[in-house]
Amino acid sequence: MLKHLFKLIWNKKKQNLLLISEMLISFLVIFAVFTLLIYDYQNYRKPMGIDYENVWVVNYNNSFNTDNTDSLNLFYETMVRTIKSLPQIKEISFSSDNTAFSQNTNTGGITIKNKRVDNINWYTVDDNYQKVLNMQMLEGRWFNKGDAVARDIHIVINSVLKEKIFGKNNAVGEFIEDRDNKTRSQVIGVVNAVKMKGDFAKTEPGLYSRTDTGSFRWLGKILVKVNPGTNAAFESQLYKMLANYMKNSNVEIEHMDNKLKSANYWYLVPMIVLLIVAGFLIVNVALGLFGVLWYNINKRRGEIGLRRAIGASGKSVSVQLVGESMILATLSLIVGSFFAVQFPLLNVFDLPASVYLAAIFLSVLFIYLLVFVCSLYPGKQAAAIYPAVALHEE
Amino acid sequence: MISLQNIQKVYRTNTIETLALNSINLNIRKGEFLSIMGPSGCGKSTLLNIMGLLDAPSKGDIKIDDQKLDHLSDKQLAQFRNKKLGFIFQSYHLINDLIVLDNVSLPLLYRTSSEKERKQSATDALEKVGLSNRVKHFPTQLSGGQKQRVAIARAVVGRPEIILADEPTGNLDSAMGNEVMDILLHLNKSEGTTIVMVTHDEHMAKKTHRLVRLFDGSQVQ
Amino acid sequence: MLKNYFKIAIAVLRRRKFFTVISLFGISFTLTILMVLTAFINKVVGDDYPDKKRDRSLYITRLEEDGPTNMSSAGPSFYFLNHYAAGLKIPVKIAISSNFNGTNTYVNNKKIAVNYKYTNADYWDVLEYDFTEGKAFSKQQVENAEKVAVISTDMKNAYFGDESSVVGRYIEADNVKYRVCGVVKNVPITSYMTYSDIYLPYTVSKMDYNYKGYRGGYMGILLANSKSDLSKMHDEYEQMIQKIPMESKEFNRMYSHADTYITSYVDTGNEKQSGVLIVLTVIGVFAFILMLLPTLNLVNINITRIMERSSEIGVRKAFGASSKILVYQFIVENLILTLLGGLIGTILSIAIIKFINSENLIPNLELSLNLTVLFIGLIICLVFGFLSGVYPAWRMSKLNVVTALKA
Repeated sequence: MLKHLFKLIWNKKKQNLLLISEMLISFLVIFAVFTLLIYDYQNYRKPMGIDYENVWVVNYNNSFNTDNTDSLNLFYETMVRTIKSLPQIKEISFSSDNTAFSQNTNTGGITIKNKRVDNINWYTVDDNYQKVLNMQMLEGRWFNKGDAVARDIHIVINSVLKEKIFGKNNAVGEFIEDRDNKTRSQVIGVVNAVKMKGDFAKTEPGLYSRTDTGSFRWLGKILVKVNPGTNAAFESQLYKMLANYMKNSNVEIEHMDNKLKSANYWYLVPMIVLLIVAGFLIVNVALGLFGVLWYNINKRRGEIGLRRAIGASGKSVSVQLVGESMILATLSLIVGSFFAVQFPLLNVFDLPASVYLAAIFLSVLFIYLLVFVCSLYPGKQAAAIYPAVALHEE
Repeated sequence: MISLQNIQKVYRTNTIETLALNSINLNIRKGEFLSIMGPSGCGKSTLLNIMGLLDAPSKGDIKIDDQKLDHLSDKQLAQFRNKKLGFIFQSYHLINDLIVLDNVSLPLLYRTSSEKERKQSATDALEKVGLSNRVKHFPTQLSGGQKQRVAIARAVVGRPEIILADEPTGNLDSAMGNEVMDILLHLNKSEGTTIVMVTHDEHMAKKTHRLVRLFDGSQVQ
Repeated sequence: MLKNYFKIAIAVLRRRKFFTVISLFGISFTLTILMVLTAFINKVVGDDYPDKKRDRSLYITRLEEDGPTNMSSAGPSFYFLNHYAAGLKIPVKIAISSNFNGTNTYVNNKKIAVNYKYTNADYWDVLEYDFTEGKAFSKQQVENAEKVAVISTDMKNAYFGDESSVVGRYIEADNVKYRVCGVVKNVPITSYMTYSDIYLPYTVSKMDYNYKGYRGGYMGILLANSKSDLSKMHDEYEQMIQKIPMESKEFNRMYSHADTYITSYVDTGNEKQSGVLIVLTVIGVFAFILMLLPTLNLVNINITRIMERSSEIGVRKAFGASSKILVYQFIVENLILTLLGGLIGTILSIAIIKFINSENLIPNLELSLNLTVLFIGLIICLVFGFLSGVYPAWRMSKLNVVTALKA
């Protein structure tokens, strides 16, 4: 039976070419959509890596102009004490500009065992950063006061970077050179990676270094963890305190959960637009497929009547017709899969192969389902043709 | 009027050659009513198609009204057909989406004439075939005989000199068939239209001026 | 003749309702999506509030300094614009403003996020904001570093509520009290170069505007006398950049451009690749893919329709229609169908745009279906109709009369 169907299709290959191209392009469109959906979903399922609820980000600038490092440090230490004395404050930490869910990025490279690794996110943070964000340590420990006087520079790396350069081995205690290949740093801890650009972002390699006495010259952000339920009245109080203390600074307080919403916006909007457009395209294709199949069957009424006359049952006629459509689909899917499988093979866009393979699988399933549904009704109609009527019409 | 010299038609597929017409020589005078008869597959429709310039012969010459026709372009052939020829088919081939009046005026569309002129000519043609009361109907609302009469009206509306009819009564019962035949005979006598008719019906053929028989692509008798 | 085609086209469409519905659905939706996209682009590119003198302005938004080991890029600093750019001969005025930044203000125990922007006095001459109340701050006020502010209508409503007039009142932002001297019509955030909630004189900035580094958080708009001066002004700026000494030993090359609005708007910071080219490519690819499937679909359906009418085609040919005439007839029929779909698409676009505007998805971004958009929509329609009709029409014209009649 299968061979018979193949013969039928091959003899009409010109006619079927258009149909196959339509199915092929639909497959590619669906493949793109599923890839994006799966990628975002995979990322969404991974843990955020930080607790961002009730964390505020204070932005400030050029608050204290002095060349004297000691008075600079005294200025900020006093401020920290004042802030911490406020009732609703649980913990605070200074940070470089590339905080979570912000548009800022700071990347650089390192050298390890004479191999260069680039595109690493570089964060400068203080001892309390991990506590403020409740980050999970996987190996070793976070920074403490002792690191200020250590012989080597101590750094903490995240799980993605660790996997990249150390694989399954232990990272704590290992040495790396920083961008200029001059200073050596020692890894003292590995922390779980954070999805810094939002719920749908992927985790990237990251390296945390500790603030030192000179850092206050350029730092401009403070992360503040407050008690749950802290209201705008307290925020206003904190704001006034900061603005009055740092008279030459612009002060802004943001809530990390709002920043997350904005960051997610950048992923959600293209996704929604893509879904709407793809949805429309597929409905279009489905209707077109349905129409063309309907017409084809009507054209072959004589053939169908004949088949019934020589002994085919109604069911076998519909099976034949649906089968022909499914074979057409298979032909287009073979070509489509050939193209699609290049993506994981060539590692396009650096997406994991699992995303592409899952997308191919789901897209194939989708197209088969689509073709099946569109050929079901015309197939059933064909089965209902009375042979006498059909043959007489000739 | 129509002169066929040594006409040969060969159909070629990838592997097989079929000789449909073999050395046909035929001269049809102006005003003649000719019947062509023969068993199925003997090539009569092929011959008619060649005469109607719908198909080209593999070998041989064809002249209509003393004009040589082998070097004409697609456009020129179309114009020639439009002016000089009218067709009647066994399965009518009316356009179901148009009313009777528009079906009949179809050939006039491809000439330069105004809407008013077309309407007038079509109405006249329909009157000739006795269907003035069905002008605004659709073909699906007519009987077989009425449909063929519409087709005849369409074939004559442009006042062509030649009408080619392929089994015009084939799908009709004897009463309707006689009616159609009467219209054709009347057309030939009163307007002097040359008519070439392919038919299975010996009875109808006997009413015409001349009978040509074909067998396996060759003329007999 | 045309009337006849029209009659037949409508008859065919009514007879094969299913095909008609599919085709109309495909065309109208594709058109709707393309027209809404065009409306967006048209708004971003064409909306000239508040820079009504856009056709004789050039925008400076970026300064890049390159060295052997690193590269830094940011907006130019106030000092750079005031000292170097203001010294150019061709521009008649230069508007200098900071990029907008955020701060907070707390009113009635409610927090309001405020975006603020520092400007010079000429900013208000180069740009033409619509003042619903009051006016901009003057040169004198800027020189005196007066704490005055121009605020947006949204800011006025958020801070003062329903009050009718707020000029002369005080607004507190960033822990400083400013006196409101004017209220302007809102600018959507998509016009990011001129958008803000509060506009302040640069002299009240807490940042040191005399900082002599080249890079800072500012941007400049050069205003020429007339449109014809634009390219000269562009070149004058480029030449000036070449002659400026490097800031420090780290850097050996400097890049900065005074570009037209669109070029500046899509600037990606890449010196080698034009931002405009990238945007056009992306839009082009998207539009192409969007149109590909429905076109293929229509081609398929059209071929089906033709095959159905093969006997009609044979008859027409027999009675004297040349291939050309038949192709013409079919394309006209197809165009009628596409234009009908286009009409539906236009109605849908209007509805969607009304919806987007009413839901205020992007605050203050009012889309409109103006003549440009409609015109582009019509062109797309015709292209569509032609593309989806040409191949089937060609197939049809090749039909042999005899075979067509036999079918």
